[in-house]
Amino acid sequence: MPSYGFYFAIILVYGAVDAMACLGLNFEFGVAGISNFGFIIFQAMGAYTAAVLSMPNAAHSNGGFQQYVLGWHLPWPLPWIGAAIAGGLLALPFVFLVGKRLRGDFAAVGLLVSAVLLNLLVTNYVPLFNGAAGISLVPAPFQSIWNTQGLGYQFSYGAVATILTIGVYFLVKRLTESPFGRSLRAMRDNDIVADSLGKDLRAQRTSVLILGGMIAGLSGAILVGFITLWAPSAWGYAETIVLFAAIIIGGAGNHKGAVLGAIIVPLGFEEITRYLPPVGNPELVPALEWVAIGLLIVLFLWFRPNGILPERRRILSHDKNDPATLAPPETGDLAREMSAAVPDDLSDDHSDALIKIGNVDRLNFRDLLRLGEPVNDHRVILSTNGLTKTFNGVTVVSDVTISINQGRLTGMIGPNGAGKSTTLAMLAGTLSPSSGQIFYEGRDITSLPSNKRALAGMVRTFQLASEFKKLTVLENLVSAIPHQSGDSFFGALRGKRYWGAEDRANIERAKDVLDGFGLFQYADAYAGGLSGGQRRLVEIMRALLAEPKVLLLDEPMAGVHPNLAHKIGDQLTRLCDSGMTIVMVEHELSLMDAFCDPVIVLAEGRVLAQGTMAELRLKEEVVEAYLVG
Amino acid sequence: MSVFLSSLGFGLISAAVLAIATVGFTMQFAVTNVLNLAYGSIMINSAFVSYYVNEHGVSAWVALIGGVITGAVASWLLNRFIYTPFQRRNLAPITVVIVSLGIDLIGTFGLQAIVGGGYVSFNQSQGHEYHFLGLILSGLQLIIFGICAVVLVGIHGLLKYTRLGKAMRATSANRNLARNSGVKTQFIISTTWLISGALCGLAGTVFAMNAGVFEATSAQQYIVLLLAAMFLGGPGEPYGAMFGAITIGVATEVSAAYVNPQYKLVVAFVVLLGMLTFRPFGLFGSEKTN
Amino acid sequence: MSVELSKKGQVLSATGLSAGYDGRAIVTGISVEATPGKVVSIVGPNGSGKSTLLKSMVGVVRVLEGSVAVAGQSITNMAPEQVAKLGVGYVPQIDDVFPPLSVKENLEIGGYLLKRNEVHERIEAVLEFFPKLKVMMTRKAGKLSGGERKMLAMGRVLMLSPSVLVLDEPTANLAPIVATQLLEEYIRGFADFGSTVLLVEQRAKAALRISDWTYVLGGGRVVLEGAPQELSQNPIFVESFLGGGAGARAPRP
Repeated sequence: MPSYGFYFAIILVYGAVDAMACLGLNFEFGVAGISNFGFIIFQAMGAYTAAVLSMPNAAHSNGGFQQYVLGWHLPWPLPWIGAAIAGGLLALPFVFLVGKRLRGDFAAVGLLVSAVLLNLLVTNYVPLFNGAAGISLVPAPFQSIWNTQGLGYQFSYGAVATILTIGVYFLVKRLTESPFGRSLRAMRDNDIVADSLGKDLRAQRTSVLILGGMIAGLSGAILVGFITLWAPSAWGYAETIVLFAAIIIGGAGNHKGAVLGAIIVPLGFEEITRYLPPVGNPELVPALEWVAIGLLIVLFLWFRPNGILPERRRILSHDKNDPATLAPPETGDLAREMSAAVPDDLSDDHSDALIKIGNVDRLNFRDLLRLGEPVNDHRVILSTNGLTKTFNGVTVVSDVTISINQGRLTGMIGPNGAGKSTTLAMLAGTLSPSSGQIFYEGRDITSLPSNKRALAGMVRTFQLASEFKKLTVLENLVSAIPHQSGDSFFGALRGKRYWGAEDRANIERAKDVLDGFGLFQYADAYAGGLSGGQRRLVEIMRALLAEPKVLLLDEPMAGVHPNLAHKIGDQLTRLCDSGMTIVMVEHELSLMDAFCDPVIVLAEGRVLAQGTMAELRLKEEVVEAYLVG
Repeated sequence: MSVFLSSLGFGLISAAVLAIATVGFTMQFAVTNVLNLAYGSIMINSAFVSYYVNEHGVSAWVALIGGVITGAVASWLLNRFIYTPFQRRNLAPITVVIVSLGIDLIGTFGLQAIVGGGYVSFNQSQGHEYHFLGLILSGLQLIIFGICAVVLVGIHGLLKYTRLGKAMRATSANRNLARNSGVKTQFIISTTWLISGALCGLAGTVFAMNAGVFEATSAQQYIVLLLAAMFLGGPGEPYGAMFGAITIGVATEVSAAYVNPQYKLVVAFVVLLGMLTFRPFGLFGSEKTN
Repeated sequence: MSVELSKKGQVLSATGLSAGYDGRAIVTGISVEATPGKVVSIVGPNGSGKSTLLKSMVGVVRVLEGSVAVAGQSITNMAPEQVAKLGVGYVPQIDDVFPPLSVKENLEIGGYLLKRNEVHERIEAVLEFFPKLKVMMTRKAGKLSGGERKMLAMGRVLMLSPSVLVLDEPTANLAPIVATQLLEEYIRGFADFGSTVLLVEQRAKAALRISDWTYVLGGGRVVLEGAPQELSQNPIFVESFLGGGAGARAPRP
C-alpha cells in the first residue's frame, strides 16, 4: 500500500468524480424527475472522448496494438472540454424518449436498455474504442512535463477535480434555486399540469439531459485522465444503479445529499472493500458489495425514502419589512411537515367554510394579474367549429360548435359523460380533437400545443387535485407566472442578479393573492398537505397568476364547501368585470344560476342548448335530457 | 439458405423459451402493474437450483422441477413481502422499479457470492441430431421446444377455459369489479405470482440448458429481450407476449446469423425503443381512455 | 319471468354513516334503508355524495362512522368479495364490466361463487332476462354499446341471484329511451319480483317514477326523504335540481 499521502490523493480524485456524477444525476432525477437509468453511458462517453482526444493517432503509436477513432493528441484541457460536449450531445437522441408524455417507468426502462445495448456495441465493435479490452495508456494531463507518479501531481489532480466538482455543485444549485429550477420541480411533481401552465416540458427535459450529460462526461474525463484506461467493464448498466443508490441514500433533490451519498456509496464501498482480507472465491467481495447496494436501496426506500438529507423546503415568504410574517415550521421529514403544516381543526373539508377570503375584495386584480384595461365589448374571443373527439371508436364529443364571449363567465353543464371535461381539455390543448377547429382571438389554434396556448393566455385547471405536492403553496403560485427572466436555462445561469429583483416582485404578487384568498399562513407549507378546499383555492390562485385572458375551470367547486364555493364565485365574477373571460364546467347548478351567463348545456357529446339558467329551465329538451330525465 | 434455416431452428428454440419467460413477466405486470426487473435474477437462481439437483445425480428433466418451484416461491415472496407493501404506500411507479433493480442486484450477486464466478453446465447430453425441413435440431433442443409448446398451450387453456384463468384476467382488467363479483383478488394475485414465477423458473432453467454453459450473471441481459417482447405485444397482454417473444426470438437469432452474433440484441433494442416511442401500448393494444 | 332471477329480498340499511377518502368524510351522518320488493332511490345533484354513499355500503370506500347491515348482519367495512357473498349485488357507474373479457366470460365471472354446474344454468336465466345479450356472447365487453354494456353489468350481478341490488346511476350515458326502458322494465321489475333495489339516479324524475321511497342528498347529507308523490310537490326538491340552490346545500349543522 502506498503512503497515506498518495492514498489521500486517490480518494480525493475518486470522491470528486463520484460526487460530480451524483450531482449530475441528482439534477436529472431529484430535481427534474427524469429517471435516467442510463446515466452511466454519459460518463462513459466523456471518458472515451477525453481518451481519444488526448491520445496520439492509433495507427502511428504503440505499435498499433489498440484501435480507436480520432487520436488527435490534444493538450489539456481540450480533451476534458470535448468530453463534456460529447456527454451533452449524447443526450440528444434520448430526448425523444423522455420528452414525450411516456410513463416515467417506461422511459426509464428505455434508458436502461439503451445503456445495456451501447455497452454491448462498444464491447464488440473494436475499431471504435478497442472493444472489450478497452483503451489503455491514455495520456494523463501534462504527463510530458510532470511526473504523474509524484505526490505533487496527484494532489494537484485531486485539487483540480475537487474544484471542478465544487463548481458543478454551485452550478446545479444556482439552477435549482432559480425560477427555472422551480419549474423543473413542478414538472417533476406533475408534468401535465406544468405543461398546462405554459412550461415547455420538452425544452426543460432537453436542457436537463444535456447538462446532466455534460456533467457526467466531464466526470468521466477526470477519471480516465487519472486511471489512464477505460473499458466496457467499467460502465455496466448496474453502475447507474450505484449512483441511484447514492442519491436515494443521500437524499434526492438535495445537492448536499447527492455529495454525501457519493461519499457513502461509490467511494465508501470502494475503499472499505480494499481493507477486507481476501476470503472465499475471488468474486465474493465484489458480489457482496452489489448485494449490499441492492439492500441499501430497498431498505432506504422503505425506511427513509427521502434520504439522509431530505430535499429542503424553500421558505419564500420571508420579508424583512413584514415582521408579521409567520415563522415557518421547523424543517424535517416531509411527511411530518405535511401533516404538521395543517392544524388539526382545519384539516377536514368542513373547515373550508372557515377559510376567510374577505380580504380578496381589496385585491386589485387588474394590476396583480396584469389584466390590462378591461375591454368589455363581449366580442367572441374563443370559438370552436365542429369539435369532435373519439376514443377507440366511441364518440365522446360530437360536432360541438360554441362561441365564448370576452369578459363573460360562461358555464358548461350536462349530465355525467356529456363530454364537458373533454371539451374543456380540447380547448386547453390537453387533448387534441379528432376533427374540428378551435379559434382563439381570430386565429386557428387547433394544432397549437397546450403550453403555447397557456402562454397565449388560455389557462386551465384540473378536476382532480393537481397541486405540485413538494412545492410550497407560495412556490406553486409563483411557478405559474409566465415570462419570468429566470425561468429558462440561460436566464437561470445568469444568476440571481439577473432575475432576483423580478422574482422578489413576483413573490410579493403571489403573497398578495395568497393573502387575499386567506391562505397566507400556509405560504411555506407543502401544497400536498392542505385540505381539499384549500388545494382547490391554490389551483385557482395558481391559474390566475399564469395571467390568463381565458380561464378554463374544470369543476373548480367539486368537494368545496358551498359557502366557500360562493365566495370563489364572487371573485370569478369580479375577474370577469376586470376583463377576464372564464369558462367553467360545474355540476352545482345553484352556482350556475348565481354566476354564469350564458350557460351551455351538453348532453351525449352534443350542444343541447345555450342561454341563462332561467331560460334553460324553461326549455323542455334541457329538462328532459339533462336535469330530470 | 442453409444459414437461414439453421439460424431459424435455433431462433425457434430461443423464441419458445423467451415466450415462456415473457408470458410470466407480462402476467406480473398485468395483475400488479409492476415492471419486475428482478425477473432475470430469479430465472438464473432457478437455473442454479436445477443445476445443483442435477449435480446430485438426478436427471436434468426431473431437476427442472426444482427450478420451477424455486421460481414460483421466490416470485411469490417477492410480491408478497416487497412489491405489495411498497405499492400500498401509493408511490410513483418508478420507485417500485428502482426497488426491483435493487432486488435484481441482491438476487444476481447474492447467487454469485454463493456459487462463485465460474461457468457450469448441466449433466445432460445434447441427444441425437435431427434433420427435417432443412432445420437441424438436437434432441435437447427438441425436448425444450416441446416443453415450451406444451406450457404455452397450457397457459392458453388456463386463461381461456378455467375459472382461475378467467378470474386472473378479470382481476387484471378491473380489480375492484372482480372483488364485487366475489373474486378473492388477493388470492388470485398470489396465484398469478406463483404461476408466473413457475414460468420464470422454467424459462430460467431451459434457458440455461439451451445456452450450454452459464454463470450467475448470464441472465442479466435477458431483461432486454423480455422488455422488447412485452412491449411489442403490448404490456400486460399474455397473447401479445407470445407474439412478441416469437418475433423477437426469431429475429434476433436470424439476424445473428447474418451479422456479428454479438449484435443480436440490437434487433430487440431497436424494436423496444421504437415501441416505447411510437406505440407504448403495443402493436395491438390501444391507449386506455378514462 | 319464468326463472328465479334473485333470491328473496333482504333489508339493506345504513345508520349514521360517514364515509370518504383518506380519512376525510364526503358523506356524513346518513341513514337510509332499502326493503324487499321496493325500489329505494337516492337522488341529488352531482357531487352530493351519492356514489360515495353506495360505495361505502358495499365495502369499496371506507366507512368512518356508523354502520351498514344486510338482513340485520353488519357488513360495515367488510371486504367487497364478502359483501357479494352475502347477496348484495353492486353495479358501479363506470368500469362496470371487464372490457377485455367476452360477454360470456363476464357473466361467468359474475357467477364466480357458484358451483361449476350451476353457472351455465344461471347464464341461461340471465339471458332470458336480457335476451339481447344472447347474440353477442363471444363479443368483447369493451365493444358493446352503452345500453348493452349496462345490461351486461346488471346481468353480471344477477348471476349470483342477489337479494339486494345496488345500482349506481345505471342510466348515465344512455339515450333517454334506453334509460327509461332500463328503469321501468328491468329495475322496477327486480323489485316487483321481490328483490331489494337501492338505486342512485341522476335523472331524478325518472327515478321518482319507479321508486317507492326516495332520499335526496345534498352536500353529503340527507336533505329530504319521502314518498315520490310528496317529494315531487315539494318546492325544495325541485329547487335542489333546477337551481336556486337552497336544497342542494347542507342545512346548517
